[in-house]
Amino acid sequence: MKKIILLLWLIVPQLYAQTVRVAVAANAQFVMEELEAVFEKETGVELETIINSSGKITTQIQQGAPFDVFLSADMHYPDVLFKEGLTTAAPKIYAYGALVVWGIGATKPTKDLSFLTQPSIKKIAIANPKLAPYGVAAQEALRHYGLFEKTQSKWVMGESISQVNQYILSQAVEVGFTAKSVVLDPSLKGQGTWIEIDPRTYSPIAQGVVLLKKKNAEPSLAARRFYDFLFSKRAQAIFRKFGYRIVTQQK
Amino acid sequence: MDWEPIWLTFRLASITTVLLLLVGIPLAAWLSATKTKLKPLIEAIISMPLVLPPSVLGFYFLLALSPNSTLGQFLEQTFDLRLVFSFEGLVVASMVYSLPFMVHPIQAGLENLPPSWQEASFTLGKSRTTTLFRILLPNSKPALLTGIVLSFAHTIGEFGLVLMIGGNLPGQTRVASIAIYDEVETLNYAAAHSYAALLLVISLVILVLVYRFNKRLTV
Repeated sequence: MKKIILLLWLIVPQLYAQTVRVAVAANAQFVMEELEAVFEKETGVELETIINSSGKITTQIQQGAPFDVFLSADMHYPDVLFKEGLTTAAPKIYAYGALVVWGIGATKPTKDLSFLTQPSIKKIAIANPKLAPYGVAAQEALRHYGLFEKTQSKWVMGESISQVNQYILSQAVEVGFTAKSVVLDPSLKGQGTWIEIDPRTYSPIAQGVVLLKKKNAEPSLAARRFYDFLFSKRAQAIFRKFGYRIVTQQK
Repeated sequence: MDWEPIWLTFRLASITTVLLLLVGIPLAAWLSATKTKLKPLIEAIISMPLVLPPSVLGFYFLLALSPNSTLGQFLEQTFDLRLVFSFEGLVVASMVYSLPFMVHPIQAGLENLPPSWQEASFTLGKSRTTTLFRILLPNSKPALLTGIVLSFAHTIGEFGLVLMIGGNLPGQTRVASIAIYDEVETLNYAAAHSYAALLLVISLVILVLVYRFNKRLTV
């Protein structure tokens, strides 16, 4: 009897839960919290958020992870999935990310990033450019200001924006390049100082979303609703609030 | 195929193993002989890395070694040493991480020796140190070998800890296990395969050789 109860306890949640599983790139974890709250209130559909780096999520989806929607940090990873026939359509841009440089200590960032050459700055955290578009953008900005070679010896690679944030918050590094959505999150407001990098110094960080196909099954109605919701006025306003540039206001 | 991560992994494992021998032998010798009531506590502390997730160790290392912590500040100001994101830091972390793999076998080996040997040596007027290095250790060679191999192999397999405090710096902290992870993340499976297969073969060869020469390999 005990065994049966245990078995039921393990299985039952899977049976009646009509949840939509949303895999989210690390930079969008904070904006996702708010999107989730608003969407659940509007529709009553339960969302389950999985936060990871875009690369890991992509690998997991290829191996059959049961996700419904994937909000990537770029266009490349969702495009890979689209080409493999795992999505309903090509990735669609839901927002453009903005890059900031952020430090907790006494460092005062300057707009032209020249402060990075100061000897007091020993380590600069950057998301691994091989995995994260924010890392690519950071390198482009450094190159633009002629600081690429000068600062290279100070770089520390985080595997995603999340890890860069960890390094900044634990003060293992003096400063780091992260997403504007991170420093605008209410729970992190007032922590240290940050400065937005001029968007003209790096290529736009177009972030794509795809609706995933289940094995021989179309996505659920609830999943499709969330996908559509991302492009609604309400959701786009939330993106803007978190420092993203939205699709219509692209320069 | 970039050999640097593989080379770095083996450098890290070798240096860690040598340093662990220096620390592990006196520690194991003391533990095998001591009558202190604190012995269970000390043994438990040494064994912690066996049961703790590497992420726990990594997290505390990150906090403890960060330049704004007391310890991190002291190291930075006194020795100009920052242990997060550096090879030296990985060596220190690996030593903690692989400590039980060195201490346990040696301690067990020493405790298994007949007490009469040590007593005979003492009766002939030999000191503790002489007894340890001339009588006890030479007679626990299998235990020493086990400790060396397991520490080495365990350090090769280190991942979570390095991921958290390494910062993925080529030639500094980008060891083979991290390189594999990176290649998988970038969907570059061919490169991941070459690293992974190499590690698999090397680890197997090491263990086969040990089992061949040492019938009593026990942790």
